[in-house]
Amino acid sequence: MHVWERVLVAVLIFLGVQSVAIFGVWWFHLENVSNPFLFALLSIATWYGIFRMFVGWYNFFHLEQPDHVDAPPDLSVAIFTTSSPGEPYEMFVRTLAAARDIRYPHTTYLLDDTRDPRFAELAREMGAVHLELVGYPGAKAGKINEALKRTTEEFILVLDPDHIPFPQFLDRVLGYFQPDPQIGFVQVAQAYYNPRQSFVARAAAEQTYTFYGPIMQGMHGTGTVVAIGANCTFRRSALESIGGHGIGLAEDMVTSIRLHAAGWNSIYVPEVVSRGLVPSDLDSFLKQQLKWSRGVHDVLFQEYPRAFRRLTFHQKISYFMIGSYYLVGLTSLIYFTIPLLYLWTGAQPAAIILAEYVEHAIPVGLLGLLIYRLSQRWLCDPARERGWHWRGTLLKIGAWNIYLKGLLLAVRGISVPYIPTAKERRTAATFFAMARMPLAIIAVSAVTILATIFKRLYLVEESQVRMTTEATFAMIGFVLINTVLMSGRLWAAWQDRYRKDDEEML
Amino acid sequence: MTPTRRYQIAFFAMGWLIALGVAFHFGLGSGLGAMYRRVASRLDLLGQRASDVEGSALTQVRRTSRREYLAPMRGMLSSAAALRNPPQTLFGAYDGGFPSDTSGLVQLEDQLRFRFPIISFYTAWGDKPDQQFPWRMVETIDRLGSVPMITWEPWVTDFDPSIRTNLPPKEEREYASLASIGKGDYDFYVVPWAKAAAEFKKPIFLRFAHEMNDPYRYPWGPQNGNRPEDFIAAWKRVHEVFEKMGATNVIWIWSPHISMPWFEYYYPGDEYVDWVGLGILNYGSVANWSRWWSFHQIFEKSYDTLAKMKKPMMICELGTLAQGGDFLEWYKQAFYHIDHTYGGVRGIIFFNQKNDTTMSSWPLNWSVIQDQQASELVARELARLSRR
Repeated sequence: MHVWERVLVAVLIFLGVQSVAIFGVWWFHLENVSNPFLFALLSIATWYGIFRMFVGWYNFFHLEQPDHVDAPPDLSVAIFTTSSPGEPYEMFVRTLAAARDIRYPHTTYLLDDTRDPRFAELAREMGAVHLELVGYPGAKAGKINEALKRTTEEFILVLDPDHIPFPQFLDRVLGYFQPDPQIGFVQVAQAYYNPRQSFVARAAAEQTYTFYGPIMQGMHGTGTVVAIGANCTFRRSALESIGGHGIGLAEDMVTSIRLHAAGWNSIYVPEVVSRGLVPSDLDSFLKQQLKWSRGVHDVLFQEYPRAFRRLTFHQKISYFMIGSYYLVGLTSLIYFTIPLLYLWTGAQPAAIILAEYVEHAIPVGLLGLLIYRLSQRWLCDPARERGWHWRGTLLKIGAWNIYLKGLLLAVRGISVPYIPTAKERRTAATFFAMARMPLAIIAVSAVTILATIFKRLYLVEESQVRMTTEATFAMIGFVLINTVLMSGRLWAAWQDRYRKDDEEML
Repeated sequence: MTPTRRYQIAFFAMGWLIALGVAFHFGLGSGLGAMYRRVASRLDLLGQRASDVEGSALTQVRRTSRREYLAPMRGMLSSAAALRNPPQTLFGAYDGGFPSDTSGLVQLEDQLRFRFPIISFYTAWGDKPDQQFPWRMVETIDRLGSVPMITWEPWVTDFDPSIRTNLPPKEEREYASLASIGKGDYDFYVVPWAKAAAEFKKPIFLRFAHEMNDPYRYPWGPQNGNRPEDFIAAWKRVHEVFEKMGATNVIWIWSPHISMPWFEYYYPGDEYVDWVGLGILNYGSVANWSRWWSFHQIFEKSYDTLAKMKKPMMICELGTLAQGGDFLEWYKQAFYHIDHTYGGVRGIIFFNQKNDTTMSSWPLNWSVIQDQQASELVARELARLSRR
């Protein structure tokens, strides 16, 4: 980052913060609060959105890239990759071959509980060590911990089996461990080779671009880089100091918060040194999101308070920012409910004057967009990843009920059975099963709009109709927007249905 | 650059940043404001059109409209000249829910089995969007078949100092504000408002700077160095502007507080006034400064003085609270005296405010329909008097 870029970013963020402050003064001095409870709900939703924007700004402000350090010779390095029943054999052929071709000397271990003799055979062919690890808890993490006991290498790369590493992988990361013995793990960017496969794949990939670009680089700047399940290289002594890899639905986050609490540092390398698979059908995308939502809320409610006092200032902030990411499920519910409530009962949070809203909200929105686009210069692969990411946004809003479910499950302490992210397309789900929520929202919206028109034509007093035209049309507009926002989820479900037919015909 | 270093630089740059930021937001804010003001009237018009479409759809479906009830009076209600000297007593109502909620008015009218020819509401001077000429409200009142009565309050502190740089600072504006209005300092606001009123074409009752003689209530009262001659000058100035803009559809109500002495010295002159207005509100026993006053007790001392002005009289705010006396009896006597004692009264506006908190910390209920018998009485009187 050049000095002038730093200055520009700092100035824009400062202006952004100022515009939010002006917006905030206006918002909390609104005179026409009609229903305090609804206003409180709307405030939560609005300020949660602003908080998420701050998260982006905070990381962008601290953006830092590590200076490359050459890997010293003769480090002892292991690559762990896990296989579970149901995962396709062909995937391991490619992954193990790619692992073999990594240039830096290493030993590859296949942590296998498929009980499938072909996997042992494949490992032998590819020059990997086959470890038969059946019956260990917590899917991946249990096997990793057992494998740690059976091996001795000083550095361990945990490689996701659906990721194909490039030959230079270890050369790009191992150097960072040497000068600083407190570095516990080095994470690299995640990239995908199948985003063109389907709408869901493209959307799911878009959701990660900003995270692996400016956000993680900002986390590098504040010393808060988290391990992301795939492609993280650990120092053995770090993992052993916290009793092994964490177990849970968000085991990567559990591991990194414990390592940070134990005083280990982390490095983020914003380089694409492997490409993997992103979920390409809605069913597996939603299962993955439920798992993450439930897991991340667990970290927020349980690991985070436990580790809090031992985290650095920035880590305290950063883990809270990550832990609250999926609360978007709750605020989406608020946004859906408010216009419907108005049209059915006439209750509204506040009679907001359009002119004032324009004057206070537009600067916030403009600066938010400007900073967002500027931050895209620091994406890992700007040429391919730049854009408005509308697919990702649509699918995120379309998955709101999944995030909410994850939150509720975490609050009530109900566990989700561990579902490995599907590496192949699922075909069992039918359109209606996948589209129940968006169809329900569309139905409720349609009924509401028709009922509103009927009420205003036949029942509501003439004077009331004539005075409330704008407010009613605005609320109908919000209902329609909410319906349109369901289109991503609906389209994804529809595509899935067709794909199923295609495959059956094949 | 380490994070600590970055914060140090940011801290020292803060002064410049704040200055830059204030300038930026001031510019952006006023730019957006100006842009909005440019389209605001078109937005209003759009809202009005949509509202008219809805309104005509529902009148077709229901085969009835409020406007139809008032059709027999249409001739008078559409003529400012007729309304300056009406052949019959005019009734009207103000409801506390205006402008967002009209259900209070509907409830009142249903209860009284009556549709009010006048609908009264209040609007303040200022730079906010809801302080400009109330297009949506007056058009809607017109669609509903009634005539708007606007109580127009010169709150001079509501003008934004960043736009109105020629005005004194806010805290100095209230002193002698009427003299400033008289000198034309506020013509920037009065002129476009008058122009809009002229564009409306249909009659509007305008009650400007009411209760100007009460030193306890509004900033344009005598407590702020506003002398009677200042009020008269302000009134004449505003009146002239309206004349110049061609707003001859505006009907002027001069409306002092009749319980304060010497209100007659505030009278601007016969050629500037169409109606003489007054308020009759009985606070009963709700406060230590009040006691139960009958309609007659409130009105009697000032009636002769008002009658000397030889203008039709309008009770612009009529109401009583229920605390401290006989509610039904109050209205019974009021109508008796309107018939027998106060022949000059030609207009009565019911003050249907159910949650009045302007004079007390708890809400006061001025609505006549809080009492079933009083509602029946008033319903009968309205039917009788509007036939007269």
